[in-house]
Amino acid sequence: MKNMICAMLMILLAAVGSVSAQQLIIDGSTTVGPICDGFAEVFGQIYPDISITVSKTGSGNGAAALVEGRCDIAMMSRFMKSQEFRAALENDVFPVAHVVAMDGVCVILHPSNPINALTSDQIKQIYLGNITNWNQLGGADMEIVAISRDTSSGTFETFHGLIMGGDDLAGSVETVGSNPQAHARVRGTAGAIAYVGLGFLDSEVKAIAVNGVMPSRDTIASGTYPVSRPLYLFTNGYPALGSPAHAFCTFYLTEQGQDIIEDQGFVPVTDY
Amino acid sequence: MASEKQLSIYEDSTAAGFSRPLLLTPSEDLKGYIAAHVGRLLLFGITCVSVLAVLFIFIFVIRESLGFLLGHGLGGFLTSTAWHPESEPGEFGAVGMITGSVYVTVCSLLVAVPIGLLAAVFLSDIAPFKVRQYVKPIIEILAAIPSVAYGFFALLVLSPLMQNELGFTTGTNILNASVILAVMALPTIISVAEDSLSAIGREIREASYGLGATRAETIIKVVIPAAHSGIIAAVILGMMRAVGETMVVWMAAGNANQIPSPWWNLSAAVRTMTATIAGDMGETVQGSMHYRALFAIGLLLLAFTFTLNMISEHLLARARRVKGGGK
Amino acid sequence: MKRDVNRHISDKVFTGVSGGAIILLCCVLLLVLTPMFVRGASAVLFYGTVEFRKMQLELPIFDRGDAEEVDAEVAQALDARQEAFDILARFREGLDTSILRDQAREMNRAYGDYLRTLNLDRAEYRARRQAVRDIRDGFEAALASSDNAVADELLLGVAEQLAAVDLGGTPAEGFVGLVEEYQEIVARMDLSKREQYAAALDEVQEALRGLFGPLPGEAIPPLAMNQYGATRWSRVKSELDNLLWAEEWREVTPGEPLEKVRIARTEQFAGTELADMFGLIENNIEAMMLPRFTFYWQYFIDDSTPGHYFGGVGPEILGTFLLTLIAMAFSVPLGIISAAYLVECAGDNVVIRVIRTCINTLAGVPSIVFGLFGLAFFVLFLLPVFGLGSQKSILAGGMTLAILVLPVIIRASEEAIRSVPRSYKEASLALGAGNFRTFVTVTLPAALPGILTGIILSLSRAAGETAPILFTGAVALGPIAKSILQPTRALSYGSYDMAVGDRLSALVPHQQYGMVMTLILLVLCLNVIAIVIRSKVSKKLRGY
Repeated sequence: MKNMICAMLMILLAAVGSVSAQQLIIDGSTTVGPICDGFAEVFGQIYPDISITVSKTGSGNGAAALVEGRCDIAMMSRFMKSQEFRAALENDVFPVAHVVAMDGVCVILHPSNPINALTSDQIKQIYLGNITNWNQLGGADMEIVAISRDTSSGTFETFHGLIMGGDDLAGSVETVGSNPQAHARVRGTAGAIAYVGLGFLDSEVKAIAVNGVMPSRDTIASGTYPVSRPLYLFTNGYPALGSPAHAFCTFYLTEQGQDIIEDQGFVPVTDY
Repeated sequence: MASEKQLSIYEDSTAAGFSRPLLLTPSEDLKGYIAAHVGRLLLFGITCVSVLAVLFIFIFVIRESLGFLLGHGLGGFLTSTAWHPESEPGEFGAVGMITGSVYVTVCSLLVAVPIGLLAAVFLSDIAPFKVRQYVKPIIEILAAIPSVAYGFFALLVLSPLMQNELGFTTGTNILNASVILAVMALPTIISVAEDSLSAIGREIREASYGLGATRAETIIKVVIPAAHSGIIAAVILGMMRAVGETMVVWMAAGNANQIPSPWWNLSAAVRTMTATIAGDMGETVQGSMHYRALFAIGLLLLAFTFTLNMISEHLLARARRVKGGGK
Repeated sequence: MKRDVNRHISDKVFTGVSGGAIILLCCVLLLVLTPMFVRGASAVLFYGTVEFRKMQLELPIFDRGDAEEVDAEVAQALDARQEAFDILARFREGLDTSILRDQAREMNRAYGDYLRTLNLDRAEYRARRQAVRDIRDGFEAALASSDNAVADELLLGVAEQLAAVDLGGTPAEGFVGLVEEYQEIVARMDLSKREQYAAALDEVQEALRGLFGPLPGEAIPPLAMNQYGATRWSRVKSELDNLLWAEEWREVTPGEPLEKVRIARTEQFAGTELADMFGLIENNIEAMMLPRFTFYWQYFIDDSTPGHYFGGVGPEILGTFLLTLIAMAFSVPLGIISAAYLVECAGDNVVIRVIRTCINTLAGVPSIVFGLFGLAFFVLFLLPVFGLGSQKSILAGGMTLAILVLPVIIRASEEAIRSVPRSYKEASLALGAGNFRTFVTVTLPAALPGILTGIILSLSRAAGETAPILFTGAVALGPIAKSILQPTRALSYGSYDMAVGDRLSALVPHQQYGMVMTLILLVLCLNVIAIVIRSKVSKKLRGY
C-alpha cells in the first residue's frame, strides 16, 4: 500500500516526463506483440535500467510510428508496403527488417467436426459465402459459422492475401477482434471455422490440413504449409551495435529468445 | 475556534461600520460595478466551455472525416453494404453497420420500453414511499454498472448460455446485444418517464378517480396520455443510450457486417457503427482513408444523437409547459 | 356488475404486472452481479497451493512470504512427488531413447579424445576407435528397433563385442551399464507400442508440468507463467483431470458430428509401470500440492505478469485512479462554476438556452465519439501544440473523460444549488453580504453535499468508461506510468482486454472475473456513498 502511494506521488510529481533511464518504445502488430512482451519480461531482468514499452496497435500503426519517430522498433506481421517505405525515406528513416520468427495462420474447426482437411479453394469458397453447410464438403449437416479477424489485423492480411487471393469476404462472416476471441468462438461453436496463429492451437480446437499439409513447426519453418509468413521487427537503420535496440533485435538469436518464441507459439528461425 | 474567529470578524466589522460612512463614494461604486461585471463575464466564459466542447467535437470530427467525405462522397457511404477498407482502393459502405445499429436499438427498445414504462408507473403511482426508497437505488446501481461489465457478462456468461443451453448457432447475436442494451437503457427510461408521470398534478388523477375509474384506467387513459411528451422523451433518451453504446455491442453483437436475412432473424450477428469504430480504430493507420471513414461514421453517430437530443429537448420543454399550464 | 369485476381484475393484473417489472429489474441486477462477484471473489479467496507460495516468494514483483517456511514446504512437496517422478523417469527412459542415445554418443566421443591422448600408432588407433564405433552403432540400432526380439538380439551382439574388447578404465567402460539398462527395459516393455505411448506421454508430461511446474531435470523456462505448477486448488483439479483422462473425438455415426470420448490414462498405459503413477498422484495430490486457504488481499495492489497470468490489478487501479483524478481536476471547477452561473447570474435568454442545449447535447454524445474526439483533439492536435509527444497518455485520457462527465457535474451542481432554500440566501443578503459572498459562504456550503454526490457519481462514471480511453489513454499491457504523459493500464480497458484480447487470460478465468469484479466493486462503492450522502441531505432538507 505504501508503495502504491509512493508510486502515485511520484507520478504526480513527475508531471512533465523527464525520464532518465534508457527507453525502448516498441509499437505495432498484435501478432508479434506477445513475442516482444516475452522478450521485454526477460530483458527487464537482464537490463534493469532499460524501460521497455510495448504497445500493440497493429502493423500499419507500427510502421507509421517508426516513420514518424514515435517508436524505436516497429513490430510488423507483414513487410512494409511501398508507400510506407516511400514515406519513411522522405522522413530520413531507413527501415531495416529483422525476421524474428515464423508464424502460420492455421485454419481451425470445432473438434467435433469430422472434416480433417480442406483445400485453400474450399476455404475461400466458405469465406465467400458460396459454401454454407458442412455437408457440402462431405461433413455433417451443420451450418457453417465463418469467423474472421478484423480487417486491420496482420493475421487478416495474411489470410486475405494467401487464401482469399485479395477477394472480399462475404458479409455474413463474423468479425472478432483478436486471436483468442476467434479461438473462443470456435471452441464454443460446433459449426465454426476460423483462422488463428500457430500459438493458439490446443486440444480444444482442431487444426486442419490445408492443401494436404498440416500446420506444424516443421512445415511452417520450411514454408511447405501454404499460409505461413515471417514476422518482422523494423528499426531505423541497423541499430547501433551494443545499443538496447540492437540487443533487443538480436535477442531472437539467443537460446532464451528462441524458447520465448516457442512458448508464445511461434516458430523460431534459428534452431539450437 | 470557529466561534472565536466569527467573533473577531464581528468586532472588526462593527468597528468598521462606525468609522465609515454608509454611502459608497462614486469610485467605490464604479469599482464594485466593474468587478461585478467582469466577474460575471468571467463566469460566463467558463460556462461557455461546454459550448466550446460541443463546438470542438463537431469541428474536429468533421475535420478528420472531411478527407473521406470529399474523396469518396456520401454516395457509396450511405448506399453500399460493402465495407472493405483493406482492398485497393478501399470500399467504404456503411449501410450494413447502420442497419446493425438500427436492429439492436429497435430490439432493445422493444424490450426496454414496456418494462420501463410499467416500472415507472409502479414507482410514480403504485408503490408506497418505502418501496420507492429501496427501488430507486437499485435502478441507480443498474445504471452505474460500467458498460464494459455488461459486455463482459454478455460475452462470458450470456453468450455460452445461449449457445449451449438454448441452441443458438452463435451466442453473440442481435438478441444477446439487445437484451443487454435494454437493461442498460432501462434506468434512463424509467427515471425520465417517472419524472414526467409524477409531474402530472394530483388533481388530474383525483378527477379521474372521482369519476369512478380504477387505478389502471386512470393511469392508462388519463395519466399516460397527459404525460406523453415526457414519455416519448424518455424513449428517445433510452434510444440514444442504446445507439451510442459501444462496448456491449462490440463484445456481444457478433460483428458480422451483414443485414440479417430473413429480416426477423434475430439470431444473426450484426455489426454496429460504434463497434466498427472501436474495433477498427485501434489498428488503423492514422490519416489513412480508413481512419477518416471511421471518423465519418462517428460524424453520422454524432449527427444522429444530436437530432434525437433536439427532439427530446423540445418534447421535455413541451412537457414542462403543459405542467406549467395545468397549474 | 360483471363488467365491474372485470375492471377490478384488470386493475389488479395491471398492478401485478407493473410490480413484476420492478421485480424483474431486481432479478436482472442479481443475475448480472452474482457471477461477477462469485467468480471474481475466487481471485482473492481461494485455496493456494505450495506453488502459489513459491511463486509469491520467488517472483521479484511480489517478493513476499517467509523464505524458510516456503522452502520447507517446497521440500516437503517435492518429497511427496519424488516417487511419481521416479516412475516417470524410468518409463521415459524406455520410451524416449534419446537420453540413452546421447549418453552412448557422448561416451564414444570421449573415448575418441582419450585415444588421441595415448599416442598410439595409426593402425591400432583405427582398430580400437572402430570397435567402439561399432558398439555404438549396434546399440543405437537396438534403440531404434521397435521389435523386442530384434532389439534383444542386437543387444546380445553388442554385449559380445563389449566382452571382446577390454574397455576397463577408459571413458567407454560405461557402455556395459548402458546395455544392461536397456536390456532390462526391453525385457519389461512392448517396444512396438512405443510410438503410441510417445504421443500420450507428451500429454501426460504436459499435464504434469501444469500440476508441478517444470519436471526434474528440465531447464527453468524463461517465462514466469511456465515456471510454476498449478497455484490454485481449482486449477489442480482441472490439471489432474487432464492427467487422469485422455480425451478423444470419435465418429459414432457417420455424417454426424464427432463425439467426445474419455479414456482413463490407466487404460491407455495398461501393463506399463507408468500406470501406477496415476493412482499414486491421485491419492497423494494433497500432500504433493499442500493446498491452504488463502486470502490474497494483495490482489488489489499487486502488479501482474504479462497476460495477468499471475498477480493482481494494482497498476489498473492506480491507472483508473489517475485518469479519474485528472478528469475531476478539470471538470469539477468548470462544472461548479458553470452551474453557479446558470443558477445565480443567468436569466432566461437565447444565449443561456443555447448553453443549456449544448450541455444536453454533450450529455448525449456517444462515448465512442468522445474517444474519437479525444484522439483527434487532445492526442493529435493539442499535445503537439504544447510540444508534447503525440501519443496516448493519462493526460489526454483524463481530459477526454473530463468533457464526458462535465454535463453530469453541471446538472448535479445546478440541482443542488437550486435546492438550497431561498430563505438562506435572502437572510444573507439582508445582512448586507454581496452576491459573491452570499454564494461562497452560504449557498455553496449548503449545496456542497449535493454537489459532492454529483461528483462521486461522475467519478464512478469516469472510472467505468472504456470507449473514450480506448484511443486516448489506455493500454492493455505496459509498465506502470512514470508521468501523466504516458499511457496507463485501467480497470475498464483491462476488463475488456481480458475478456476478448488476451490468450493467457483465457486460461485464468479467476483473473478475468477478478478484474471486472474490482471495477464493479469500485463503482458500486462510489454509488453507495453517493446514495447515502444524498439520503442524509434530503432528510436534512425535509426534516431540519
